[in-house]
Formats: sequence, structure tokens, C-alpha cells
Amino acid sequence: MAKKIGLYPGCSLEASASNYLMSIEKVLSVLEVDYSIMENWNCCGATSVKTIDQDMNLMLNLRNLAEAEKQGYDELVVPCASCFHRLATTNFELMQDRQLLEDLNKECGCKYNGKVHVRNILDFFVNVIGLDKIASKVTHPLSGLIVASYYGCLNTRVPGMESFDTMEYPMSMDNIVKTLGAEPIDWSYKTECCGASLFLTMDSVSERLVGKILKDASLRTADCITVSCPMCQTNLDTKQGKIRSEYSIAESIPVPFFTQLMGLAFGMSHEEVGLDKNFEKMEPLT
Amino acid sequence: MATHVLESVDENLGDTSLCYQCAKCSNGCPVAEDMDILPHQVIHLASLGLEEEVLDSRTIWICANCYACAVKCPNDINITSVMNDLKQKAIDHGFKPQIPEVYQFHQVFTQDVFRRGKAHELFIMGEYNLRLMKPFKNVFLAPKMFLKDKLKVLPPRAVKGFRKWVHKLLIIRRKQRRVNRIVS
Repeated sequence: MAKKIGLYPGCSLEASASNYLMSIEKVLSVLEVDYSIMENWNCCGATSVKTIDQDMNLMLNLRNLAEAEKQGYDELVVPCASCFHRLATTNFELMQDRQLLEDLNKECGCKYNGKVHVRNILDFFVNVIGLDKIASKVTHPLSGLIVASYYGCLNTRVPGMESFDTMEYPMSMDNIVKTLGAEPIDWSYKTECCGASLFLTMDSVSERLVGKILKDASLRTADCITVSCPMCQTNLDTKQGKIRSEYSIAESIPVPFFTQLMGLAFGMSHEEVGLDKNFEKMEPLT
Repeated sequence: MATHVLESVDENLGDTSLCYQCAKCSNGCPVAEDMDILPHQVIHLASLGLEEEVLDSRTIWICANCYACAVKCPNDINITSVMNDLKQKAIDHGFKPQIPEVYQFHQVFTQDVFRRGKAHELFIMGEYNLRLMKPFKNVFLAPKMFLKDKLKVLPPRAVKGFRKWVHKLLIIRRKQRRVNRIVS
């Protein structure tokens, strides 16, 4: 029997990164993927709830997992790196410690049995859908586009767990970029933290981290930095003008989601994949 | 009492006594230059029983939660989670957060999520600014974000049954944390 696939959107994809969700849905429909958006989900708590109360954070994510299981999903695909990290590590922790699962189930009034597989969206595209399938839908190859794939920290750093990609030098997004006909580059800041959790609190720190990432991408002549995390996208894109002048980076570096690039390669317009909603403008390919 | 902090750190986070001060965590930390105590020193100080210095540090609050240290540690100590544990201990033991903005932000975010089960970005930004009494912080971003449809004015629809669920849990949690405080 085919596995039932659910998509966990998370708070950002309903607000500041609604164009990410839009591009994901359009791309999945071209790829003829049978999926649905999970219902009755709650916030994963991001970095904040676990800072205030780590047990409450476990319970928030247990509630999500229990809901997904109740709704019959075998796989839960998670686009946001922060949501993915919270859901996947909670799932792992509860599977390692069955007593904890039992206690928390009781405390939360949940009935989770551990049947849901939490999947990162990159993992889903590369290892479930497959690069061949993606290649078969490319009608407008992104020839000549030099792309720096930025994974950030939380996509691959899952302590104790087996990651779907290498922690130090992941390649899944680069492989997608290559399949789309663009040119992925080798660079040093693939998995360096952008400091998104400090975006509103320690501005100068997060701006310095973003500055380093932008600088390296620009020195290596990247036309854009593609991302899979809404936090990274906001952090690299929204304050870029200010940061570029501080770190003397001459040219604008657009920050498209990788699904937006996919949409372009599948023949969609900039507006169709929501590229007009990003701050730094992406020039049409000639 | 000497190793109080570390002894009470959750054992799921790895055996912190295995730390042999290789400092891989500090070398890989993207915000190390903003810290007053480096991550490997946090583990060291705490194991010497100098817990006040750790709980009273800027370090635990500036940690960006990127897990670079946790995946680099040769002894599988989840240093990032230890940092989060220490933040909670600092609050539970009445230490004033050394970077109050960070604590305030996390608190505003958490309270907002508990209100309806989902975060409302605009409200979080607004309330955080008001609490800091810096109403215009980052306001320059707002007009463009509205135009680009990146800020929703209305909060997301409440998750069915969430509020009741979370309030019941919070009452239990508050009691538990009070008990912990009395015991330790």
C-alpha cells in the first residue's frame, strides 16, 4: 500500500513565507505527488519554547505527531528547518525512551505510537520523489545560473540521529540545483548558522553572520543563494540592503527558495512561484 | 553540592563528565566571539561547581541554538541542549538573564503560541518591542513586508482545542517546577 504523505506547513509558511508554501504546492502538483496538508497542527515551538520550558516543547511536538498519526499519515514532510528539527528530534527522543513516551502520552492525553516518519523536505525531494523524476519535468533549464545552496544549521544537525545528508558538507540541494540545469558552486558557508534566532534580539550578531555568508557567495560569483528554510530566507533577504553596505558587497544576491527555482525550471513565471514576494529581485533568465 | 548544575542536567544530553576540553565546540561556535565564557569553559566551570558564573553568563543567552557544538563533540555531549537547560535553571533559580532581550523575546513568542497554538509574527514583533520600550525597533522592515504580503495583520486561526489542552498542562508544569525549585 502506498504511504500516506502529509505536509506540515508550520507558522511561517502561513505568513512570512507563504510564497514558499505556494511554490511547494505547485511543484508537487507538477511532480504528481499524492499528499495533503495535515490538519489541526500546532506550532513546533521553534527555539523559543524550548528555551523557556524544554518539556513543554516536547509535548507540543508530541501533540503534532499524535495528530499526524491519528490522521493516518505515514510520512510527515516538513519544509521549515526549525520545525523539522523540533519534530524529528522529538520523535527520535520519544522512540529512544519508550517510558518517556508513555508518561508524556498520559500527561498530554495523546495516543502516539511512533508510527510517523518525519521527513525533511530536501530528503523528500531527493530520496522519495527522486532526481530522475524532477529531471523529467524540467522544460526550461536554468542554464548559466550560478547557485550557492545554503542549508543553514538545522536541516542536517540532528545530534545522535542519522541525518539524511552529510552534516558538514551536504549535497542534496546542490544535486537538485544541478538537475534543474543550473550550476551549483562549492563554497564555505553552506551550513554556517545565519543567526536567525537572534534576528530580532541581537541584530548586530545576526547581521554579522549574514554578512559573512553573503560575502562568500558573492566572492564566488553566485547569482543567488537558494534556501529551504523560511527563517534563513527572511534573515538573508529582508535586511540585505543594510548588511551589504556594511560589508561592502556590491551586488544584490536574491534568496529564492529551492522550490521557486524548481518552479522556474518547470516553466512557471516568477509570479507563479512567488518570487515577486522576496525582497531582493531575481532577474529573469535570458 | 559541588557539581550541582551538571548533576541536574538531563542525562539524555550526554555524560558531561566525559568532556576532555578539546574545545571543538568553542572553535566551531559562530557566536563564540560574543560570549563571555566559551562553550568548553561552560562545561568546565560547571563541573568545578562554579555554577553561579555559568548561570550568570551572557553565553547561555547568546547561544544561537545552531547545534554546531553538539554535532562536533567527540564525546556526544549535546552542548546546545545543555545551554538550554542552563537557561531554564538560571530562570528557576532567580538569576537575572544577562541578555534580557533574548529572554523577553522567547517569552513573548511562547506566550503567543500558547494563546492559540500558532505564532502570529506581527504580534510577536510588536509586543516584543513594547516590552523593550523600543517601539520602533526594526519598524523599517514593516512597510515592505506588508507590501510583499509577508506580515499578516490578522492572527492565524486558533487550533481546535489547543488552548484548553495547553492550559491544563501549564498548571501541572508550574506545580512541577515549583517542586523542583524547593528540592534543589
